[in-house]
Amino acid sequence: MSDDDSVRTRAERGPERRGAATDNMSDRTMDAEQPEREPERGERGGLVPGIFKGLATTARAMVTPSHTAEYPDVLPDLPPRSRGTIALLEENCTSCMLCARECPDWCIYIDSHKETLPATTEGGRERQRNVLDRFGIDFSLCMYCGICIEVCPFDALFWSPEFEYAETDIRDMLHEKDRLGEWMATVPPPPALDPGAADAAEVTALSKPVRPGRATPPAGRP
Amino acid sequence: MTTDLPMPRVGLAAEHAPKVVRVVLNWGRRYSLWVFNFGLACCAIEFISASMARHDFIRLGVIPFAPGPRQADLMVVSGTVTDKMAPAVRRLYDQMPEPKYVISFGACSNSGGPYWDSYCVTKGVDQIIPVDVYVPGCPPRPEALLQGILKLQEKIAAETLSSKGIRTKYAGRAASAAEVTRPSLAPPGRQP
Repeated sequence: MSDDDSVRTRAERGPERRGAATDNMSDRTMDAEQPEREPERGERGGLVPGIFKGLATTARAMVTPSHTAEYPDVLPDLPPRSRGTIALLEENCTSCMLCARECPDWCIYIDSHKETLPATTEGGRERQRNVLDRFGIDFSLCMYCGICIEVCPFDALFWSPEFEYAETDIRDMLHEKDRLGEWMATVPPPPALDPGAADAAEVTALSKPVRPGRATPPAGRP
Repeated sequence: MTTDLPMPRVGLAAEHAPKVVRVVLNWGRRYSLWVFNFGLACCAIEFISASMARHDFIRLGVIPFAPGPRQADLMVVSGTVTDKMAPAVRRLYDQMPEPKYVISFGACSNSGGPYWDSYCVTKGVDQIIPVDVYVPGCPPRPEALLQGILKLQEKIAAETLSSKGIRTKYAGRAASAAEVTRPSLAPPGRQP
């Protein structure tokens, strides 16, 4: 099939789908190529039907509700897993520095010190624990990859869909732990499991029948 | 050959205008921000989304798009500013008439973002031009830009008209991204 043939077939198909304005445009370009084709209905109609056609389009657009999101008045309905900001649950953080190490941007700042706890029982050993002094995320640098949240072994970091924290000073973009803790109130509950999903590992382990215990531990084990 | 046009400035009468006039002028300024999009990377897509029918920032008085920087009031730098692009950003900023405002949109223009360690990326557009509002995100949602615009409008409503205030924006600049986040990278002698 030559090029000319394909043009003719498209031009013949034209009148069936002439609702949109772009189709009319393409028909007109076809006319330039094929002056022998008979004029179509819209071209014969003249000025007045054209005005009514335009007014009908205007009237249709007028009664069609617009889909503009009225943001400052109506907050967007964000999906629960949207990545707005990162919230910190300070009690869960052991300052293990895993998030700060894994961060591709190095935008997490952690300071901590060790504290010695006295022995709880007499003759017991003193214990040491980490105390979090500073936890800062620089949101002017953060790339919202979520690796810190994935890697946290103690569930101290969470996604929050909040996004309204534009600042006029770059220094305010570094959120310290009190500000990160305030985001915790906006963290949505974890989504429910899918209907056909397998039970959680804890549930499976609990629902197993209890095996009869062995009388003596096997040899070779303490 | 370049044409040396004088920079349009706020007049002397406006500097000593009474408060009522200031309120009216600021009201006019905040709701007719002709925007000039400096789209440099993927954040520009979110900017375009904010300008289209769904988010439609013309509701807030941000008018897309100025024909050029000489007609613009607001520049939105969205995307990674490289050292090669930085002179162009500065030049187009200088061509904008005062009063002019800049929104830094996204992590890359805030502070270099994921590319801050690259040899050729400017560590934040605020190293070359003064920035009024920083919008966080990578990329930010279109609504985040709208919130940044609201923040800028609050700032415009509160400002005085004197060009002295505009000049101090250059000289007594609060801080740049690199000075805050990477003090070890600051040039010697400028350690905070």
